[in-house]
Amino acid sequence: MSTNNDNQNALALDEVGDNAIESKETEGLSQGRIVLRKFLRHKGAMISIIVLVLVAIFAFSAQGIGGLPGWWKFSHTASGQVANPGGAPTWSLSSIFSLGDHPFGQDEIGRDNFARVMKGTQISIMVMFIIGAVCLVIGTIVGAVAGYYRGWVDSILMRITDGFIILPVIVVGSILGVLVGGSSGPMLGLALGCILWVGLARLVRGDFMSLREREFVDSARVAGASDFRIMFKHMLPNAMGVIIVNTTLIMSQAIVLEASLSYLGFGIQPPGISLGQLISEYQTSFATRPWLFWWPGLFIIIIALCVNFIGDGLRDAFDPRMKTIPSWRKMKKAERMAQKGAN
Amino acid sequence: MTENTADAQSKKGSPILEVKDLGVQFWVSDEWWMAAEHLDYTVNAGEVLAIVGESGSGKSQSSMSLLGLLPSNGRATGSAKLGGRELIGMPPEKIQHVRGNEISVIFQEPMTALNPVYTAGYQIVETLRVHLDIGPSEAKERALELMRLVEIPDPEDRFHSFPHQLSGGQRQRIMIAQALACQPKLLIADEPTTALDVTVQAEILKLMRELKSKLDAGIILITHDMGVVADMADRIIVMRAGQVVESGTAEEIFYQPQHPYTKQLLDAVPHLGAGTENEAFGGSIGDVKASLSDISSDQASHVSDPVGLQDNGAGGDGLSEAGAADMAVAEARAQANEPDHREIEMDSTETYYHPGSQADFSKPSALQLRDAAIEYPAIGRKKAFRAAHHINLMIAPGEVVGLVGESGSGKTTIGRAALGLLPTVEGDMVVNGTSIKGLSNKQMRPLRKEVGIVFQDPGSSLNPRLPVGESIGEPLYLHEGMKGPGLSKRVEELLTAVELPTSMRNRYPHELSGGQRQRIGIARALTLRPKLLIADEPTSALDVSVQAKVLDLFEGLQKEYGFACMFISHDLAVVERIAERIAVMRHGYLVEIGKSSQVVSNPVHPYTQRLLSAVPVPDPREQRKRREARDAVLEATMNA
Amino acid sequence: MIRFILRRLLSTVLVLLVVTFVLYLLLNVALDFFWDLRSSTSPNIEALYESRRRLLDLDTPAVVRYFKWLAGVGGCAIGQCDFGIAWKSGQEVTDQLQGAIVNTIKLITASTIVAIIFGIAVGMISAIRQYSGFDYFITFVSFLLYSLPVFWVAVLLKQYGAIDINNFINDPTLDSWWPIIIGCVAMGLFWMGALGGSARRRIITFAAAALITFGTVYYILASGWMQQPTIGLLGVVVIGAGAAVVMTFLSTGLKNRRVLYASLTTVVIGALLYWPLMNLFYYVGMNWLWMFGLLIVAIAIAIAVGLAFRGPDPWDTARTTSFTAIIVAVLIFADRVLQGWQDYSNDPAINNRPIATIGASAPNIDGDFWITNLDSFTHLLLPSIALVLISFASYTRYTRGSMLEVMGQDYIRTARAKGLNERTVIMRHALRNALLPLASIIPVDIITMIGGAVITETIFGWNGMGKLFIDSMRQAELDPVMAYILITGLLAIIANLVADFLYAVLDPRIRVNA
Repeated sequence: MSTNNDNQNALALDEVGDNAIESKETEGLSQGRIVLRKFLRHKGAMISIIVLVLVAIFAFSAQGIGGLPGWWKFSHTASGQVANPGGAPTWSLSSIFSLGDHPFGQDEIGRDNFARVMKGTQISIMVMFIIGAVCLVIGTIVGAVAGYYRGWVDSILMRITDGFIILPVIVVGSILGVLVGGSSGPMLGLALGCILWVGLARLVRGDFMSLREREFVDSARVAGASDFRIMFKHMLPNAMGVIIVNTTLIMSQAIVLEASLSYLGFGIQPPGISLGQLISEYQTSFATRPWLFWWPGLFIIIIALCVNFIGDGLRDAFDPRMKTIPSWRKMKKAERMAQKGAN
Repeated sequence: MTENTADAQSKKGSPILEVKDLGVQFWVSDEWWMAAEHLDYTVNAGEVLAIVGESGSGKSQSSMSLLGLLPSNGRATGSAKLGGRELIGMPPEKIQHVRGNEISVIFQEPMTALNPVYTAGYQIVETLRVHLDIGPSEAKERALELMRLVEIPDPEDRFHSFPHQLSGGQRQRIMIAQALACQPKLLIADEPTTALDVTVQAEILKLMRELKSKLDAGIILITHDMGVVADMADRIIVMRAGQVVESGTAEEIFYQPQHPYTKQLLDAVPHLGAGTENEAFGGSIGDVKASLSDISSDQASHVSDPVGLQDNGAGGDGLSEAGAADMAVAEARAQANEPDHREIEMDSTETYYHPGSQADFSKPSALQLRDAAIEYPAIGRKKAFRAAHHINLMIAPGEVVGLVGESGSGKTTIGRAALGLLPTVEGDMVVNGTSIKGLSNKQMRPLRKEVGIVFQDPGSSLNPRLPVGESIGEPLYLHEGMKGPGLSKRVEELLTAVELPTSMRNRYPHELSGGQRQRIGIARALTLRPKLLIADEPTSALDVSVQAKVLDLFEGLQKEYGFACMFISHDLAVVERIAERIAVMRHGYLVEIGKSSQVVSNPVHPYTQRLLSAVPVPDPREQRKRREARDAVLEATMNA
Repeated sequence: MIRFILRRLLSTVLVLLVVTFVLYLLLNVALDFFWDLRSSTSPNIEALYESRRRLLDLDTPAVVRYFKWLAGVGGCAIGQCDFGIAWKSGQEVTDQLQGAIVNTIKLITASTIVAIIFGIAVGMISAIRQYSGFDYFITFVSFLLYSLPVFWVAVLLKQYGAIDINNFINDPTLDSWWPIIIGCVAMGLFWMGALGGSARRRIITFAAAALITFGTVYYILASGWMQQPTIGLLGVVVIGAGAAVVMTFLSTGLKNRRVLYASLTTVVIGALLYWPLMNLFYYVGMNWLWMFGLLIVAIAIAIAVGLAFRGPDPWDTARTTSFTAIIVAVLIFADRVLQGWQDYSNDPAINNRPIATIGASAPNIDGDFWITNLDSFTHLLLPSIALVLISFASYTRYTRGSMLEVMGQDYIRTARAKGLNERTVIMRHALRNALLPLASIIPVDIITMIGGAVITETIFGWNGMGKLFIDSMRQAELDPVMAYILITGLLAIIANLVADFLYAVLDPRIRVNA
């Protein structure tokens, strides 16, 4: 996505010329480090990455992974004594802030909501990453091959993607969800990865098609590079921006998709647990036990929002047209200073 | 406002625009960067002020600041007065009435500068109706009038055409018509001909000269092309890095330049005809008339050419076919009173061989094209496109042959085919003694050692993700399996050869200037010491002074390494300087080939004549003479 | 062009066939046709299994069954559709589909139109005010909307949008002034950010927007408007005049008095026709055909007004008056619909809880054209909001990106250099070009919307295609699921064709070349 300012900026900079200003900005940096620097400056993305990492650490450590036990005192399966009436959250601000035993509350059979939300977050994050990884691999390879060789390979890919896009993902997802069945997060992730890669493949294909027309590809071929080397040594690093950005965006889509499927009952099903499944299980109790509904939803939104912002930051960082955003306020201030100086 | 109307009737020579201490800055990385400063100039009515400079000199931005058209992070300081009114800092509601009305602009890129979703006519009408209180039918009448003024054929038809349906020259004419709509006092022409082919450029320049004498507007001509300046300018400002280094009349700047930069700039411009004892074609009107009608007998040896020109017996038929052009030629012939001669039609696709340039395929050669045809292969439903037909061309070992033509002539196609990047579908293509017709990418690989290429755009031909050292070393790694210190040493040698510090090897392409990148491109092409080098417009993206240095380097390396070279360019002056022989292409056909001096001073094909006469030379006096000749040739070959 | 569209059509139909084939086989594996028998303790369980197998023809290979199904569907070509049966309920799928298709199309059309209008407007403003507080705010909101799970929003809407509002309508007491104050300040800030300008202009905008909001809210609460909402002649005139001013501003600028007066005249004519129309509505039973005819008449009158004002560009005037007339017509229509509010609300089937949470229409409501429409609107309200929220964000983002891209183009600089004012540059030169790529987004978004409808329909009990799909999946009914896939696939193909067509109409480069 380009912007008015950026384009004009680019023009202005080219005019200013012999890329003096750019070189000042990017002296001695590789493309990768320039991208990283721009990314680190994107406040929204940085905050999001910190929040996401914290949520993940919290969720995984609280309930433990595999055989490893977590630090939270309740497990997500064990039912227990209902502490507050109706299982309401125990945290309070009455004296000083205190969490109590069940800060997120309990359900009707006394299971600890915090433990369940943490476990659900774990599974949801895991599914999200599996989907991302599957899409990354399939989408990149298929897109690269189609974009590079064009011809019949490309025609076939385009027909396949046409097939995927005429139906909503949630419909195909439901069918695949029922097919792989029930309670396993990783299986669901793999299945959903198999439908979400399509968009990425299309974008990578487009990118490879335009990269193919760039002279450095011809120049590599003239230098005697093989097709494989051209695709993966020369073109792939240049397509990295598209790949990383869109994989991120797919992941943000994936978490909402997984939640929706689980909500409808075609994704993770009890005794399996995920954020969508929790909402599904407790939706009827919204009027009586709203905390069972709010917390899992809140975590879905936090995760999806963070991933979206990270994607946005990455997109800005990879976009070569995107120069550092001129701060309008600073500019005006400097102008005023300059005028004062002149007077 | 009354004083403005008085101004509108300003006499020729009275000042229109007075610029004092104008400066432009951009807000970048929390600092103001100076793009131009301390500009002082005056534009008078009916006068062309040329602002000359290379990229980054601030010439364009300083002019845009007059209209408040700087990007949002730019600002202008100082003063610019249009008929006594201050333009700098004028509020948007007011400057709106100045734009397009009193000051109008012709932009560089006519393709992108016109809105693709509106018709050409609509865009002119829009300008008229913003500033003048007139109805749609009257505005249409005026627009058609303007379109006639800028000599657009069938204005009623073209009025309803969308920009993409017009040719580049026609689009630029629409742009000019739009700029002239409200009879502005000042016209800013921002590189008006840079994006155009040289013959189209000649037509636009001719038009602008005519308009200049008809209208009484002052013109600011922003350009980097000294030829264009010599053709148009009355006074000149030379800018460099945001500063004015010199200003004066055209005569002063061209014949008594004071500032070293101006001298350097003028020296750097290749001058057509510099390489021949005779004057380049188109030097004077008499010369042109003679050439239009005559090919002197000593050059008539082509009759015996093996693949040469066939006698075009039916001169009378040609008349009816080619219409006006032939009429003109016939007329010229009658005037010259030389009844016995042969003529070539503009649309002739036969190759004219100057003596000594016939392809002799028995001799050893670096590159041979034998009756070759080259196609862009079909992709999906897009049909295959044949971009070159029946090409017979030979490059001897160590010889530099220039391939000249305008955009779409197929010159780049031939270069790419010689590298095996495009298929030769008919005839044969022999590179360094091996036919490459029908070879697969894999079979080509060992042959690639002996061919190198330098691309037009050095920014695009280097992989932006690889350090340049790695780019240079790649052929060595791939063909000779070289690695480690051995490779490093060779890369450093090559960098030294192209006069770059060896420390540059770890830099990335975006950290280098255009000239440095092109040096890297050359180094990379020469890595394996090829016997044949294809140079595809290697200097056309560079500034003149950088171009001169790169060409010097190139000549030096050619002598040192002794490779044969096909030098592809649209710029005749550059090719004349560098090549021993010149081949001219038009619409996919090779129309003329001969020694550089032969082609430059005695072109035979009407297209070559047109091409040569269209090139403006950086010398106002000479250009004045050439101008007449140019206009004659343009008229005679109008239908091309 | 037509050849291109036909080729596209043919290839997508083929793709659709392949998709149905593959999904048929997958569903065959995925669905458990005996789920209700698994826990059965019936003594004749074997016989039950056997009869089920015969009912569903499970002994025939799936591939063969697919072609049988396809043959039944192919019967539509000769007017004998056979989509099979939903075995659990024993209903014919064709019967199930009839209401469902209409309901889904109704829902999706309403939401798409609203989302497109608001998305484009907000995206455009966001692009023009790039890097302003408004832009950041909209960016944040659109990311938030992207991240919201529909089902979660739908549940919240049910609670706060329906139950609480209904409660409030029945017992309109305000606990605290704070929500209103916050709302007014928010509206002030929103318009201040959107309109921008100098510091003084911003303050004026802020104050005006906040005061207008406060006035409106106060009027609504104090006059008991919530109990008996109505627009009335006064409302039609005031809102209509406002619309006339805005339309004039957007299309030609307020400096063009001729257009302004023409639009205002249109509003006056609309107001004069108010009572005659009300009488017409009273004495003659109405239907949609009537409504459509009246709208055409309104537009015709507006064009006549526009042309009567003559001037150099009569059609520009006519365009503006037509848009104004459409708004006035809609206002009068809405006013007449709202006149039935009291009757509707008091109906025992509604029981003074007018905002519906379940279904596409209230059972046992009988009323005339106006009451049924009112009923339909109250039911459309919440599911549409849920759907609009999802796709509004994507339209905003796309419009913003596309607009920024266009604003950086050379021809925008040319337009400025010509001396056009900023409004013309944006509305005439930038927006037109920025909308081109959007044409290719719309079909994609409609497909997403169909997907979103699956969830929304399920939650709001809206008897549409999506609910049919989910219910059938849960019951392991193969035939209705296949019917859903086929029909939504066809809808998607049609949406794509329309988009191609739109693109061709909008972009002369394609129109002329092909």
